[in-house]
Amino acid sequence: MRNTIGLLLVLTVLFIIPTLEYAFGQEEPGKYLNRRVEIWNLFFRLMVVAFTIGAVVSGTLVWLCIRFRESNPKAKPTKYEESGAW
Amino acid sequence: MSEHGNWPEWVYIGVVVALLVWVGAEAWNIERLVEEVPEDAQVIKVTGQQWFWSFEHEDGTKEIGELHLVKGKAYKFEVTSKDVIHSFNIHDYIVLMDAVPGRINIVWFAPDEVGEFEIQCREYCGLIHYNMRAKLYVEEAI
Repeated sequence: MRNTIGLLLVLTVLFIIPTLEYAFGQEEPGKYLNRRVEIWNLFFRLMVVAFTIGAVVSGTLVWLCIRFRESNPKAKPTKYEESGAW
Repeated sequence: MSEHGNWPEWVYIGVVVALLVWVGAEAWNIERLVEEVPEDAQVIKVTGQQWFWSFEHEDGTKEIGELHLVKGKAYKFEVTSKDVIHSFNIHDYIVLMDAVPGRINIVWFAPDEVGEFEIQCREYCGLIHYNMRAKLYVEEAI
């Protein structure tokens, strides 16, 4: 299972990158492209990605800490803790 | 091991890889577009030396400490240095290229606004680096 997923992952990376490059390669630079606009747009797009990921990751961590704290009413011992076998 | 799956980890890895690929592809694409110099761009030789900039136009006109360009035309800068490493920067137009002795580096832009803009050295190059500036004058086409 693990090997299959690993292989699929490698294949995905190997094939997705050239495909993306090919797709983007179709876009031709316009005459007198405005580098100021292009570069700032890239910056803003990447900042949106960065902040979205930051929000999701930190949100998940906060949820994890609250949900799985010992004092949470919903908390129950794991099966390892229950059986005492580790 | 057989009692628990680790699919969340694989999903996580997949998402991270996909995002990295996407971010890389976007940046690669913009860099490719920005570096494509238009064929009709006028060449301007830019030379940095402690501590001023000099410019030479295609017709041989030379300027020191100031550069006169025309709005709406493309310019290809061939940037070099006579002494130490400098960096040619027009901040308002996001033009930035190292000036390295013995090398000619290429950067291009097409000014789209009339006005006066700062040209500066963006690589520490000695005592008067802070004042290694020039003025860019973008003028209306006649």
